[in-house]
Amino acid sequence: MSDFIQYRERVPRPTKPLDDKDDGPDSGPRRPKVERPSTDDILKRMRRVDPNQARRYRQRTGQ
Amino acid sequence: MQRLCGLETEYGIQVDEGGSMDVVVESMELIRCYVSRDFVALWDYALENPRLDMRGFEVAALRNDKDETVHLQKDRQRPIALADLKSDLIVHNGARLYNDHTHPEFSTPECYSLRDLVAVDRAGERILLQCARRRTQTRGAGVVRLYKNNTDFEGHSYGCHENFLLSRDLPFQQVIDGLLPFVVTRQIFAGAGKVGVEQDVRAAATPYQLSQRADFFEVIASVDTMHRRPLVNTRDEPHADPAHYRRLHLIIGDANMCEYATALKVGTASLVLDLLEAGALPAFVLADPIGALKAVSRDASYQWPVALAGGRSSSAVEIQAALLAAAQRVFQGRDPETDWILAAWRDVLDGLAQDPQTLVGRVDWVTKKWLLDAFAESEGLDWERPEDRAWLQSQDLEYHNIDPDEGLYAVLEAADQVERVVAEEDVQRALFEPPGDTRAYFRGKMLQKFASAVRSLNWDSIELDCAGRCVVIDLKACVSRETATYYNEALDAAASVEDLLARLGTNPQREGAP
Repeated sequence: MSDFIQYRERVPRPTKPLDDKDDGPDSGPRRPKVERPSTDDILKRMRRVDPNQARRYRQRTGQ
Repeated sequence: MQRLCGLETEYGIQVDEGGSMDVVVESMELIRCYVSRDFVALWDYALENPRLDMRGFEVAALRNDKDETVHLQKDRQRPIALADLKSDLIVHNGARLYNDHTHPEFSTPECYSLRDLVAVDRAGERILLQCARRRTQTRGAGVVRLYKNNTDFEGHSYGCHENFLLSRDLPFQQVIDGLLPFVVTRQIFAGAGKVGVEQDVRAAATPYQLSQRADFFEVIASVDTMHRRPLVNTRDEPHADPAHYRRLHLIIGDANMCEYATALKVGTASLVLDLLEAGALPAFVLADPIGALKAVSRDASYQWPVALAGGRSSSAVEIQAALLAAAQRVFQGRDPETDWILAAWRDVLDGLAQDPQTLVGRVDWVTKKWLLDAFAESEGLDWERPEDRAWLQSQDLEYHNIDPDEGLYAVLEAADQVERVVAEEDVQRALFEPPGDTRAYFRGKMLQKFASAVRSLNWDSIELDCAGRCVVIDLKACVSRETATYYNEALDAAASVEDLLARLGTNPQREGAP
């Protein structure tokens, strides 16, 4: 015996506001202010990247 | 935001052991590292049919690349069943994690909130990173690395697809016509940036372009996703009541590292669909959509001119500004997330028009170009020299490495030099908690609460073993917030599967062996 449960959409009823989480009424994605990044540390990291890494990186076609 | 949506991201995979690796096995084993127990196949494929077309027909077969066809013929000879090969898993946060054409794929749960979507997209990176580290330990040799990008620079692309629920009342040709100007020009802020050009020998001199994916699109609309890719995909799998809904499967976008770009990419698309459904979308007819897609991506002047039908001309910024103005007129003040999208859309267009470098840390192609320019200057590299460009391509790839100890974007993020749109606590919560206001909560919590009763699942149904009886709970109606909340509250209150079914009510509709 197999049962198949299916419902029509219910009549709308009150739910919690979309962004009623932690941060009050003006929440939504937050955009903190940042200064223009400096390059010193990142350049040290970039120098360690193998110059031939992309040549070895071969993938199959996906979707 | 007012629209159900989700993201599917295929990751690139590489092992640095030297020689060739078996990507089929590697991707399969990596996914299985998510579970500590034996893998049990739960995904139900019976309801999937990627050959159904929105325009009212079914194609006989999908197109594949020639090399992909060869791969598939070899794969069919492997002693591995399809379910094992795909290794489909449902994560407790309601996401799907599986091996899609040798690419580990994380499909987010359905979200109504942009904040939830960005948080769970980031959580997907963390989950796959954990899988890669475990796989590195178990395989004994070589380090497994994952890249959230869309190309191998040699003509093989893989996707980051967006899914949006929309009304079936809208004729699909209107959807295609309305979306084209938007998707062709959205790359000016949603592009992830790429060193070089693929599949076009005439453009070999282009050193850098906005989009990872633009080179791979050849037709306006079709059901295919792997070959002759379309600007608008017509696959008709709504995962909801097909009498009322479509699922727009948008395959043209790049995978973004910047949270800001992910939020803006999806948020603006959702507003454009809102405008379309409201009959308020400004009409632009592009003279050559495919040509414009590639020309905008490759335009190093950043003027991005776009030819319109009838001999008129515009620009990508002007088209986006017109769409933004319409959205502001109709939707300003609707809800906090809509207002955030409108403000961010305005900011990014202002930044692109005045000085793109102000968008470092928010827009991926700008951030990556800024890094590459700094590196080229520091090392004395010449963008035109093949050896130097190869090194820059390696930096491009490393920008997308999801390992926080290695990836260039991750290094910037750790130094607090990019703009986050979700808090780290949101990402940590999204590792395990499904979005609370969609049916993903029902799916994820069923596995947390009644896992032993779950026989199989799909996006829109769950099959249960209830005291030897096979019971299917159809979740097609749960695409509305109200219905999802009703189901979710019933599940929260249920003490057993039988109690849950009693709370939902039963309506036997089919016979079958358990």
